[in-house]
Amino acid sequence: MKFSRVDQADETILQVEGVLDALTAPEIRPTIDALVSERRKSIVVDVSSLRLIDSSGVGVIVGLSKRCKAYGGMVRVSGLKNQPLAIFKLLRLDRVFCP
Amino acid sequence: MIRLRMPSRLEYRDLAIRTVASACKLVPDGGDDFHNGVISAFSEALNNVILHGYGPAVGEVEIEIEPRQDRLIIRLMDYGKTFDPRLAPLPDLDNLPESGLGVFIMRSFMDDISYAGGAPNMLSMTKLSHPNKRGP
Repeated sequence: MKFSRVDQADETILQVEGVLDALTAPEIRPTIDALVSERRKSIVVDVSSLRLIDSSGVGVIVGLSKRCKAYGGMVRVSGLKNQPLAIFKLLRLDRVFCP
Repeated sequence: MIRLRMPSRLEYRDLAIRTVASACKLVPDGGDDFHNGVISAFSEALNNVILHGYGPAVGEVEIEIEPRQDRLIIRLMDYGKTFDPRLAPLPDLDNLPESGLGVFIMRSFMDDISYAGGAPNMLSMTKLSHPNKRGP
């Protein structure tokens, strides 16, 4: 997995590529913690280059969203397709993160 | 029949998933939904064996993949702790759970799941390419 963070004013784009799963989720957690500690208001998780996600990866994004909401921030997910889209639809997360 | 034997380590997950993904292509009419569902379910089943069945211990996982004309059958065998996924509680999706989703994903995407605890534990999962045309 590769990921990158770009801040544009109040918005942060977190681009995640490859596989976000039980093996790779721990790699991105420090960045997630930093976004929360900086109280970033608007976070877009760009998964357009994400090939595969599992329940551990989903847990990372849901956890980020809950922590952001606690201080008035919000998380959106963009670029969902293929297997990640199937998972988000099954868990009804497409309605939550892609309004 | 395709057989794969691997250590119960997450580092081998990608190899196993790619093997199953390739086997999906051997099922005629197994389209994108079929592929996405199988990969999602298998991924969770493998996580369960590695993370919960064996935990920090390293054991062995055997995977059998059987592509047929109208379905894909996957069997996972392990010698870790017994865990019947059919007995796991369903998550409350309205509360946006951060964990406890794996079994729900498996059960939702596969058409049939069976489990037999023992030595080895055996989880069998079947995905039909056309669920409305169930054969014998």
